[in-house]
Amino acid sequence: MIGGDDQLRWEDGRAVVTMPAEIDVTNADEIRWVLRAAVGRSSSVLIIDMSATTFCDSAGVQAIVDAYNQLDAYNRSSATQTELRLVASAVRRILSLVGIDQLIPVYSTVEAALADPASGDDSRSS
Amino acid sequence: MQLGGARATAPASRAALEDRLRDIQSITDAALARLDDQELLTELLERTRAILQADTAAVLLLDYTSGHLIATAAAGLEEEVRQGVRIPVGRGFAGRIAAEHRPVILDRVDHSTVLNPILLTKGIRALMGVPLIASGKVIGVLHVGSLTPRQFTSGELELLELAAHRAASALASLMAREDRMAAEALQRSLLPSALPEAVSADMAVRYVPGAGKVGGDWYDVFCVPSGHLWAVIGDVTGSGLAAAVIMGRMRSALRAYALETADPAEVLARLDRKMQHFEPGALATVLCAVFDPGLDRVRVCSAGHLPPVIASPGRAAEVADIPPGLLIGASRHARRRAATLEIAPGSLFCFYTDGLIERRGQLIDHGLARLCQLVTAEPPEVACAAVMGALVGSETAADDIAVLMVRCRPTGTQP
Repeated sequence: MIGGDDQLRWEDGRAVVTMPAEIDVTNADEIRWVLRAAVGRSSSVLIIDMSATTFCDSAGVQAIVDAYNQLDAYNRSSATQTELRLVASAVRRILSLVGIDQLIPVYSTVEAALADPASGDDSRSS
Repeated sequence: MQLGGARATAPASRAALEDRLRDIQSITDAALARLDDQELLTELLERTRAILQADTAAVLLLDYTSGHLIATAAAGLEEEVRQGVRIPVGRGFAGRIAAEHRPVILDRVDHSTVLNPILLTKGIRALMGVPLIASGKVIGVLHVGSLTPRQFTSGELELLELAAHRAASALASLMAREDRMAAEALQRSLLPSALPEAVSADMAVRYVPGAGKVGGDWYDVFCVPSGHLWAVIGDVTGSGLAAAVIMGRMRSALRAYALETADPAEVLARLDRKMQHFEPGALATVLCAVFDPGLDRVRVCSAGHLPPVIASPGRAAEVADIPPGLLIGASRHARRRAATLEIAPGSLFCFYTDGLIERRGQLIDHGLARLCQLVTAEPPEVACAAVMGALVGSETAADDIAVLMVRCRPTGTQP
């Protein structure tokens, strides 16, 4: 379900936002706000977990692109840098067809997304 | 709705209460429902003005694209509508009501409280206004004015809110209908014209609005002076008039860029820059296929759009092997790459939007495979009918569907 803090959890200092089974025009606005709220609160890595998502139409894609652009703006005005990562299985192909994987790295599992070191973790070089 | 009229009209004489009941009835009158929305609005404004014994009544509607309130209907203040008064949300009397989502009563009307010069020159001395709210969103403002000094009471405010409630639902349906009609007209105006005689290709197109709602799907086919044939298909995120307007702008910008270069990657890069500057926040998928004048090669570039399915004579149809590209409007750093494909004579290209193959609970690859089974290198009208019959049938599509098929004629054949 969408609403409240249920979707945002912390794993080892990294924010994971869980997406619902279907994302379309009926819930995309809500998701957009959930993601926007997470952008300001994340540390080094923000993971959008779509592993349970089986349907994502263009409204859903728009919400993800919005999160990317929000984060991009946030990073430019902030001393710390947050990386956006996606986890997807059923909708992975869609994300690739719309080119989202060229913008945001896509992982098969949350574990894999968590295991990958963030580029800002070790050094702070810009 | 709670009516606390006695609070304001004390002492509550029997006559006063009867008057008030009559006033409420005048606004909630079932007979109003028989009028069309425009008539209802005009009649409601007249009645509101009469029962509140006000000199003016006006409705301003919010234009979401500009963030302005625009005078739409008025009684006793017709010049406001005729002059097309526009008030930015957040400024002036009406702008404050829309921004703060709450009623405002002004006992003093001057330059410090009011932005609209018509209210000042007209000599309005007191104003009372309320937001018009439909589905939880402010869609405009309703206000009444007095030419003599006056203190509007809370009882009068409640009557105005009742009228606003009635007006808002009429306006919401009026706006939805106008939106739909405009979007449909726009979609119709964008049907590509027939291919020039000289081109050895045939085409067929289909456009189906999703669940009665026109969206931002489009296709385009045109030749440029160099002899190249362009086939374009795209899908603007969102629906209704807003998406249709953006689609129209993209379509004409793309045509203009196509006159300058035969490289679809370059055209999409320019389109992306244009969109990010002039339509920030808008997203669209677009695919361009540029056929060489001899129709022996085609250059294809996709900006987040589903790849075409190609059927060549004597072979099973397959999904075109093209590099995926980021959708238009997403990032300034998108890299655009085109693929060049050889064309066997008699090949048919099927371009489509996601509504044709995307189904809930099914992987997209399943939809693509199914489409490949259905597309054949027949004349485009035949192929189009077969695909639509199998994938759409008699069900109402949830999403818009646009399909464009182009077939390069088999060697030595006439149309």
